[in-house]
Order: sequence, then C-alpha cells, then structure tokens
Amino acid sequence: MIEIASSLLLFLGAFFYFAGTVGLLRFPDLFTRLHALAKVDNLGLGCVLGGLALQADNLAVALKLLLIWPLALVASAAISYVIARRADALGIVPWRENEK
Amino acid sequence: MTSALAFDLLLAALLLLSAWQAMRTPHLGRALLAFVVFGLLMALAWARLDAPDIALAEAAVGAGLSGVLLFDAWRAIRNKPDSGKNAGDEA
Amino acid sequence: MTGFELPVALFLLANLAASLWRVLRGPGDANRLLAALLFGSTGVGILALLAFSQTPAATPLLDVALTLALLAAITAIAFAQRAWQRGTDPKRADD
Repeated sequence: MIEIASSLLLFLGAFFYFAGTVGLLRFPDLFTRLHALAKVDNLGLGCVLGGLALQADNLAVALKLLLIWPLALVASAAISYVIARRADALGIVPWRENEK
Repeated sequence: MTSALAFDLLLAALLLLSAWQAMRTPHLGRALLAFVVFGLLMALAWARLDAPDIALAEAAVGAGLSGVLLFDAWRAIRNKPDSGKNAGDEA
Repeated sequence: MTGFELPVALFLLANLAASLWRVLRGPGDANRLLAALLFGSTGVGILALLAFSQTPAATPLLDVALTLALLAAITAIAFAQRAWQRGTDPKRADD
C-alpha cells in the first residue's frame, strides 16, 4: 500500500517536472518562463520528496526529506524575485498577446 | 538495470557536452554557465558512483562558490574600460 | 525502494538535457539565467531519487541535496546581480 502511494507520488512529480520543461520550451518570454519554472518544478520536487519520505526507514530521514522542500521553496522564491526585478530594471517589457 | 545504464550514459553525454561547451564557446558568459552546469552534473556523477563526500564537495565548490567567484571576476573584467573589447561581449 | 526511483531519475535527467540544450544554445543571458533556477530544483530531485534507489537508502546523499539547494540559489542570485548587465546582449535582451 505504501509502495503504491509512493510510486504514484513519484509519477505525479515526474509529470509536474515535465510540465515545467514544456513551459520553459514553449512560453514566449522571460517572465512567463519564470512563472512556469518557479512554481511547477517546485511542486514536482514536493511530490517526489513526499513519495520518497513514505519509504524512509526512520523519522529522521523522512523529516530531513521534508525539510529540503521548504528550503527549495524559499530559494526559488528568492531567485525568481531577484531575476524578475533585475529584468524589470534592465527594461525588459513583459510579453502581451496583441503586440507580437 | 537497463535504466541504470541509460542514466549513466545520458549523464556521461551531458558531461561531455557541457565540458565541450565550456571550452569551445567564444562567449565568456556562456562558458561560465556551462562550467557551473558541468560542476552540477559532476556532483550527480559522484553521487552515482557512491561517493557522497566528494559529491558534497563538488556541489559546494564546483557548482556553488567557484561559480560565484567566476561571475564576479567576469563583471570585473567587463567593467574595466580598456579591456572591454576582449571580454567576450561580441560573438 | 519500489524500483521506480531510477527510471524517474532518468526522466528528470532527460528533462534537464532538453532544457540544457535550449538554454545553452538559445540567445540571451536571460534564458541562461533560467537554467540556474531549473538546475536547482531538478538536481535536488535527482539526488533524492538516487539516494533512495539503493536498498539501504544512502542518506548522506540527502545532505548533498540540501547543499545543492542552498548553493544553486547563491549562484543564481550572483549571476543575476553581478553578471547580467545591460550591455551583454543588446539586440536580443528580451528574448
């Protein structure tokens, strides 16, 4: 039962990572790609880490796995903020549907 | 077993690609980023080879600190007025 | 281990390869900046999967994953703040 739940979470995480890659390849400009990468990839990471934490032998390993996720969330939020503010300061205009 | 072999082969191919990119591209920023990518892939390779200590050192030094230092050095080179031509901005 | 860890890690590495091709070949510093963000999350995922792909789980690899999550953030912020400047790619700055 635990193995089935763990495998399902792993596959769900792989699907979210795939969605993030498709977003990076297909979205038109920097800000939309940032939106795809920063959110979807971290959701995939959360699913993978949760699926692995179900298999952990003891509580310490599971808690360490679940500690990696908030760290990655904070890091990705900080990186996205820095990149978006820097792009705005460099004068990069966000993409609009009608203009191009 | 076969997916382990496929993982190793893909990892080796990516290592060769990023190393080639880091050496051969004329654009300095692209070379620096390829070097950082090479460090990260090398950390994955050490993890795959059951050497977690070396993987830890490679992730910290190769993908982290040396990347920061190299980016800093790149900015210092580019902002020097007399050597702006050679800093790899063109090409 | 359920046996799915290594195939999922292979799939994540393939994702990394696809976006690496795009990022290293594509124009513009902005695209290359996104690579740092991508490698943070995907690299951590691959390391955690590799740790659990052995029958006694290799828990030291989780420390490597933690270090990587921290230092990928530092590298990306350094790249954004230090290396990404106005004159780098004048024509394709927004692409």
